[in-house]
Amino acid sequence: MSLFDAKFYDFYVHPAPDSIAQLTFEAKRYGYSGVAITNSQINPDEAEKPNGFSIYSAVEISCKPSKLRDEIKKHNRKREIIIAKGADEEFNRAVVETEGIDILLQPSKFNNVLAQAAQDNSVAIGFNAGSIIHTRDEARVRELTVMRANLKHARKFGLQIILTGDYYSIYDLRSPREIAALASLFGMTAKEAVNAMSAGCLEILGRKSPDYVQEGIELI
Amino acid sequence: MKTLPTLRDKKRYMAFEVNSEEIITRQELIKEIYNSVRSLFGDVGASEINFGLMSYDGKYGIIRCAKEKTGETRAALACVNKIRGIRISIMLLGISGTIKGATEKFIQKSLIKGLEPDKEKQEHPIPWVAGSHQVE
Repeated sequence: MSLFDAKFYDFYVHPAPDSIAQLTFEAKRYGYSGVAITNSQINPDEAEKPNGFSIYSAVEISCKPSKLRDEIKKHNRKREIIIAKGADEEFNRAVVETEGIDILLQPSKFNNVLAQAAQDNSVAIGFNAGSIIHTRDEARVRELTVMRANLKHARKFGLQIILTGDYYSIYDLRSPREIAALASLFGMTAKEAVNAMSAGCLEILGRKSPDYVQEGIELI
Repeated sequence: MKTLPTLRDKKRYMAFEVNSEEIITRQELIKEIYNSVRSLFGDVGASEINFGLMSYDGKYGIIRCAKEKTGETRAALACVNKIRGIRISIMLLGISGTIKGATEKFIQKSLIKGLEPDKEKQEHPIPWVAGSHQVE
């Protein structure tokens, strides 16, 4: 059985409202089983999608560190996947120290203190492979350096890794194998990459199910 | 003069499909993939990859790379995102050891799949799944 027979998900997709159907049909062809659309007003259950394909809703929060808790409360009720894009050190620190955030995406200044806090609050660390695709030269070197450092911390502290392609349209789509090849550029193994796109995502989805009570407690 | 069979490099052939807003010419595609390989791996890396475009018809094509460098080639192909302002995505269909194998296994198969009336497609008649360009 090939490593790439798993079900793959991408949690950081932002299509234009009128191209959601187009993107989901193409994503299925590229080998994905589901996507989470960020900051969209569309109800995932009503959206047009191919058979056997799932759409989830995610939200990318960017606010003052002091308002983080209110934002999380608001979105937790709707069971949305909460993503925080890495910014300055103060924001990153607030994100990893707040329970309820699912993914901290591509933090640029990550250290052992933040990693420890992320482990305590089970915040996954996200790697944006789309940044390798869309940047060139110095910018790409910087992104790869950041990702290499983040991967080191994630391995050391056993953090959940999430890989995403940052898709806006069908022309940004890349298949899971290609995302894994891009991840290998900063030292991620194929197995880690597959886990980051399937098992890691499923774990987050499990946390969003109505049966989930809190870490380690679930209704059966 | 031919290379001795024992000294010949082992190669792999990758079948791919191009999804783009407009049709991309062969020259443009070669140039862009080459730039992508060079910007990711440098001159030394590019020479080790031994990249070559074997065939391309506007939609489907086959490229050659060194046997041990399939992962790197995949990454370089994934990095191609724009050619003279036209958005493009290269989707790899499969890897084979011979050109014939790559054509029969992946390109012809996907052409047949595209021609057959699919149940799922009938339910949702969407033009972009069947391919936006006509294949000659």
